[in-house]
Amino acid sequence: MNSTFGGVWVVFRRELATVRRTPGYAVLAVGLLVVLGGLVAVGGGGATGFVPAVVDLLLPTEVLVPLLAVVLGYRALFADAASGELGVIRTYPVSAAGYVVGVLLARTAALVVLVGGPFALVGAYVWLTAAPDTGIFATHSGVDSPVLFLRFLALVVPFGAAYLSLSAAVSTIATTRRSAFALGLLALLAGVLGGDLAVLRSLSAGASPSGIAGSLALSPNGAFRGLVFEHVIGVSFAPEGGFVDTGRAVASLVGWTVVGGVAAVAAIALGPRVDVAVEHLRARLDR
Amino acid sequence: MSDRTLASVDGVTRAYGGVPVLAGVTLSVETGVTAVVGPNGSGKSTLLGVLAGAVEPTDGTVSYHDGGPRDGAAKRVGYLPQRVPFRDGFTARETLGFYAALAGGDPDAALADVGLADAADKRVADLSGGMRRLLGIAQATLGDPDVVVLDEPTSGLDPEMRERAFRAAARAGDGAAVVVSSHDLDLVDAYADAVVVLRRGRVAAAGPRERLLDEYGVDDVDGLYRAVAGGSGDRPTVDDGGDADGEPSEESVHVTGVSDR
Repeated sequence: MNSTFGGVWVVFRRELATVRRTPGYAVLAVGLLVVLGGLVAVGGGGATGFVPAVVDLLLPTEVLVPLLAVVLGYRALFADAASGELGVIRTYPVSAAGYVVGVLLARTAALVVLVGGPFALVGAYVWLTAAPDTGIFATHSGVDSPVLFLRFLALVVPFGAAYLSLSAAVSTIATTRRSAFALGLLALLAGVLGGDLAVLRSLSAGASPSGIAGSLALSPNGAFRGLVFEHVIGVSFAPEGGFVDTGRAVASLVGWTVVGGVAAVAAIALGPRVDVAVEHLRARLDR
Repeated sequence: MSDRTLASVDGVTRAYGGVPVLAGVTLSVETGVTAVVGPNGSGKSTLLGVLAGAVEPTDGTVSYHDGGPRDGAAKRVGYLPQRVPFRDGFTARETLGFYAALAGGDPDAALADVGLADAADKRVADLSGGMRRLLGIAQATLGDPDVVVLDEPTSGLDPEMRERAFRAAARAGDGAAVVVSSHDLDLVDAYADAVVVLRRGRVAAAGPRERLLDEYGVDDVDGLYRAVAGGSGDRPTVDDGGDADGEPSEESVHVTGVSDR
């Protein structure tokens, strides 16, 4: 198989088969389902409607989805590098970009199933249990609708994909499985807390509150939360919106995913040369 | 063995943490089996990694007659690292199927060539060490590359498996340059067309096996090894690395190459 697309497809199928044969991921998805189901049941959102359920789930989603994405991503590129199989794959006609894209696409497909599945089941649960009426397929102000939950679901996937891509990228500089996990955890903490803390700091430093909608969108969590408020929760009670700049928030989620992918490609393609450059520098300093 | 040069290493130096592991190595490899021998730490794996494109040299270049590992849409170089790296959860057939999908070739035929036809449906995790190495050889030769690099394919194997591994390497050497590192000097004697002896990261002797035996007045590769590399230390020291930037030191034995180019 010679084409770039062909190489991506071959790597994609291998990676997907690897995920499918790792029972731990299925266990994580079941765990996520239990937690989400418990939250909407205990929180009361499940019995009330889709938007109340989203309100119940929003904060846990901001932690659980990145966590699961990091678990899926932290070994995605590290495993082949650590085992030495990347050295073998390099002798085959597949580029660093084709290899990284194949791995990340497969892991993202797994993310869609492992994260999207539990959320979809929770949505079905809300549909069956909520009262008085959640069967209205509309997005009018004040009206609950399954469409709003689908929007929430559609935002969860790119949110997780951003963390998956970033954790895979940082894992390329890890030397051991433990350091790969630690770096993934660092990316998780930086993403979950870093953006909000940066916004708070800028406000305390005198930044204008009117800029929050723009600056909030810069971090994955801020972008996701803003989009959920703007296009899911806010639809029911604040039609004028204004929680976040939608274009900037979407660009942020896509951008973080692309940044992670590009960084991973650069690390895989240029890593050996960087290593050599470091040796040259060391030799120069030793003189 | 023909005299067709398929890969050339020119003044290659590689250092790790400032310590040179290879220093100014120059040689050429031709069709047939070239065995790289030397004490532990003499730079064999690094040299083979450089030849396979898995290790970037600090200085020097590697050139290939028909294109290197990342040139074009065909597989030019096959590589089996010292530690066989395949994913445990895949069967032998699935493992080769992945590589065959990238480079072409028939996974079942490749398995049969190394005597693993009956183990095609066994998971890699369930294969013995010897079977894993044979699977690695099958992977390295898949797609008929011009240069096949096998890093200690007989390490840890029983005598029968060692023989099978070298037989498989020799078969691949009919139309390709097969570079094998090994401590099995009797098998090197039996199968190698050319020998490279490494000592402290440098080429201490290199050339066609028969010629080297004549030059050193020894009967076999074991005698050659003792004559050339015997008594050498394992690891080059920082002092040895005065030529880390590629300048050969005075006491280095600089052999132009297997092909005497």
